[in-house]
Amino acid sequence: MLEIQVYIVAVLSLLIIGLYCMTFKSNMIRILIGIEIILNAANLSFIAFSARFSEYVDILAQSIVVMSIVLGGSVIAVGLAMVVNAYKHYKTLDVKELRRLRW
Amino acid sequence: MDLIEFIPYTLIFLFIGAVTALTVGIIEERLGKGRVKEVLSVIFIALALGGVLILYREIEPSGVILFSIIKNPPLGSCLEADRLSALMAFSTLFLGLFVGVYSFSYMKHDTRLGEYYSLLLLMMAGMVGVALAGDFFTLFVFWELMCISSYVLVAFRKETWGPIEAGFKYLVMSSLGAVLILLGMSFLYGMAGNVNFAYMSVGINWGTAGIWAYLAFILLFIGFGIKAALVPMHTWLPDAHPEAPSPISAMLSGMLIETGLYGFIRVFFVVFMPNTVLLPNGSETFKYVFAVFAILTMTIGNIMALLQKDIKRLLAYSSIAQIGYMLIGVASGTTYGLLGCFLHVFNHSLMKGLAFLASGALVERVESRNLDEMKGFGRVMPMTTMALTISLLGLGGVPATAGFVSKFILFGSALGPGVNMWWLTIIGVLNSAFSIAYYLPIIKTLITKSTESSPQLKEAPASMLIPMCLMAVLIVVFGVYPQPVLQLADGASKALIEGLPRYIAKIFP
Repeated sequence: MLEIQVYIVAVLSLLIIGLYCMTFKSNMIRILIGIEIILNAANLSFIAFSARFSEYVDILAQSIVVMSIVLGGSVIAVGLAMVVNAYKHYKTLDVKELRRLRW
Repeated sequence: MDLIEFIPYTLIFLFIGAVTALTVGIIEERLGKGRVKEVLSVIFIALALGGVLILYREIEPSGVILFSIIKNPPLGSCLEADRLSALMAFSTLFLGLFVGVYSFSYMKHDTRLGEYYSLLLLMMAGMVGVALAGDFFTLFVFWELMCISSYVLVAFRKETWGPIEAGFKYLVMSSLGAVLILLGMSFLYGMAGNVNFAYMSVGINWGTAGIWAYLAFILLFIGFGIKAALVPMHTWLPDAHPEAPSPISAMLSGMLIETGLYGFIRVFFVVFMPNTVLLPNGSETFKYVFAVFAILTMTIGNIMALLQKDIKRLLAYSSIAQIGYMLIGVASGTTYGLLGCFLHVFNHSLMKGLAFLASGALVERVESRNLDEMKGFGRVMPMTTMALTISLLGLGGVPATAGFVSKFILFGSALGPGVNMWWLTIIGVLNSAFSIAYYLPIIKTLITKSTESSPQLKEAPASMLIPMCLMAVLIVVFGVYPQPVLQLADGASKALIEGLPRYIAKIFP
């Protein structure tokens, strides 16, 4: 079994990768993937901590993760629906083109 | 196993209402006519408001009550209601009732109205659920319910580019906030072994937590701060609020950003505040952090609002400034300051709600959001302009309106005993005076005589006028006779600070 520190390093690197993806990528779908990466960092963190408190894994963390996967999926679904609509209006997936409102 | 001290009628009615509105909406869309879904949704919102009143009566004896099924807390998830949760739920549904009636004629040219009302009710259910949540898991589920329905509602008029662009930006920023909350929550879980608020308050060994406690705090601060539009994280708000349909802007600006603030206040005061080992000077240092954010938020909100020509965008920036005022109360950390904060949450929901509804009625007639093109239109729509005037004066904090009472308490709280932040009061008062500089020109623009031929417009329809006039009357009434709301806000602030041992003892007897 790996030490908990290994998982925490993985969680923090996933967080940084996700933030990088959201900040520097201009493709709308990649931005959504960035959100999903950070969500999975949080899920991994829950799972890593769930084995910490007793011999058995904590079912509370497991159920939270199942629920958060569902919620993350719903957010991404709404986001993709918006991407489809944005594509209809702008004929591009580049988020830099969406500048008609002042950012 | 079950521990049912109250039944969350509010949530039950809202969920039933959402399903009913959707079903009836689909049937009516097939038939091509019918207005049953609107009436039904308003009835269900009113029933839910009744549920909050029942909740108030049930809270009264013990101060805090619990609802959990299948497994008891701290292991099972639960709803824990005290007077603060009840006040937030009450403000949400009180505003929601007006918004529901207003939507009758405002949305009548749109299609997919079944979805609209269903999502509106679900958004309210999310906000009420966040207010009632007793642990992080419940809070997160209702948080996402609130967020997802508001994303769809902001981008509801997807035929034009504006709402889509604003909606996508809102979605990206807000769901980043939500996942950061989840990550911060996972660190707190790693320290406590549980996600219950009360359990975390006593169950975390902060001495050994070290850097993880700071990391969790920062993640939660950013996550909730994005939703509450604290200044470095506010950039979604001035786009999302103007582009949403006006009733939704009222709901977003009136209650949704305050729900973000509520989530933060709840977590901070229950989990972090009692444990002052985090920083060298304990909770004092946290107060300065809040004070800095309060100053930033209100100053930048006000300055940006002054530069706007778009009336709804101006109101959106003014919401940011109002969040800054509320943070003064949080920074003071006393019962009196929080009383001002929650009073301002309620008053602001009425005032900003009315401002958005009235400007929505104007924008619908003028067909432009530009203030320059609205010159003289106030003269042909006297009732709407009157309502807008009252709400703007209230937001500016003119005496005899509700805004004066809450701002007076907020600015006074920073001077209170043991707080000693006189500079915060001075900056707050200056900002409040400064904000008049952009509220009054709106009124002036609307009522000056137009140089061109007088515009031929009709007054807004009755179903829009009735909620607007009622809200305007309430703003004046609560400005002159604030005792009833003051009592509610007083109970809420006491429940948060003095009732904290009771809140924890409910889980740990």
